[in-house]
Amino acid sequence: MHRVVITGMGAVTPLGHSAPATWAALREGRSGIGPITALPRESLRFGIAAEVQGFDPLAHFDEKKLILLDRVSQLALVAAREAIRQAGIDFARDELGENTAVVIGTGIGGENTNDEASRRMYAENNPRLHPLTIVRLMANAPACQISIEHGLRGPSFATVSACASANHAIAQAFALVRSGVADAAVTGGTEACLTMGAVRAWEAMRVLADDTCRPFSKQRRGLVLGEGAAVFVLETLERAQARGATILAELAGVGMSADAGDIVFPSEKGAAMAMQRALRDGGLAPEAVDYVNAHGTGTPANDPTETRAIRRTFGAHADALAVSSTKSMHGHALGAAGAIELVATIGALRDGVVPPTANFIDPDPECDLDYVPNTAREKGVRAALSNSFAFGGLNAVLALRRA
Amino acid sequence: MSSVQDTIFDIIAKESGIDRAKITPDATLKDLDIQSLDAVQILFEIEDHFKITMPDRDPNFDTESVKGLVETVEKLAAERQANPPAG
Repeated sequence: MHRVVITGMGAVTPLGHSAPATWAALREGRSGIGPITALPRESLRFGIAAEVQGFDPLAHFDEKKLILLDRVSQLALVAAREAIRQAGIDFARDELGENTAVVIGTGIGGENTNDEASRRMYAENNPRLHPLTIVRLMANAPACQISIEHGLRGPSFATVSACASANHAIAQAFALVRSGVADAAVTGGTEACLTMGAVRAWEAMRVLADDTCRPFSKQRRGLVLGEGAAVFVLETLERAQARGATILAELAGVGMSADAGDIVFPSEKGAAMAMQRALRDGGLAPEAVDYVNAHGTGTPANDPTETRAIRRTFGAHADALAVSSTKSMHGHALGAAGAIELVATIGALRDGVVPPTANFIDPDPECDLDYVPNTAREKGVRAALSNSFAFGGLNAVLALRRA
Repeated sequence: MSSVQDTIFDIIAKESGIDRAKITPDATLKDLDIQSLDAVQILFEIEDHFKITMPDRDPNFDTESVKGLVETVEKLAAERQANPPAG
């Protein structure tokens, strides 16, 4: 069994087009949530989202390549380039690329391509669909495109588990590198889901906020959809040390579980099991953890349930934890959420600064932990958990240790 | 019983699987032990049947009690009749 470390990270998020820009905004407590611009706002019920704005695909891809890429793959590819560049890793050297894995989570896949194809067919009565529709919309396209661009020939696939897709992806990549099945991995999550069809479907569930995202706050009114991608380079501690790489953090362990209960209502037990397994897998005592990046969607159901699950996992130490939901700033990017939140968690470990839960007004008696309201806090973070809990009751938690 | 109330009783019974005889105008969906996912399906079926958009957590409307649902639908349906949507 190898120890696994993170040596590169990249991100394209509503807070910025790089991991450092995203982290800077999180530290400042700046929110990327605002009136939606990609869709006609007047036809939506609330019309707010956390969008990646000002992203010009032609600044990153030539037209010939772009025709193959849904926005979900574009965001992932740009984030992967940044992560690989930062890691300073040469996949051609020692044939490393021959056994580097690519595991990328997405909740929905090529939603914009799907929406466009539906519009042509049903709205325009045009029976001819673009011949590249399938290769753009398939949920594994982001993983494939990264593999192709960087010549990575190890185990490569997508994970799909709604809002836990990214954490499940990172957990699989971790297992591949820790066990030696793969020599290194490029992993993370991506989502580009802000189409009329997807937003309307979320509206119909009546879980969207009409003002902004206020996790754990008494005045919370639901989640705010987001989009974006974040990608990481994982490798063994030995390799990273041998090549003198900068280690951003150690990925110490992962914990996964299924509620086997309700399709939407979360379970305290399922969430706690995933956190407990992550601690055990990472060899971490509960008291060693200083920060939990919460799933914290801002819905009435998630936040009290997650609070109770944290208490069940940490016991008396729960009151010493800093817990924050950065979805208050980058929105809920579904299958990319856990990856974007890993940028926040790594930032906390490296800088000793816990990002806040923004938009917090009054505490809710049912949510009684320290949520770091509105302002980042200086606090040494030795180890941290990052939670993702999906519809369907699928839970995936990452345990990280300071490098 | 008004026809709107009759239809809403039918929708609640069908979507939640509870006995229609148990539904009373004064009960809230919560009183009837209707889970949140069933509740949003009830709202959807009401919207689809009456071709209206039910308010979402609007303090001016009661969409939690059966009576409130009936009144909301009657009000919105009357508005719709007065101002039919173009096209």
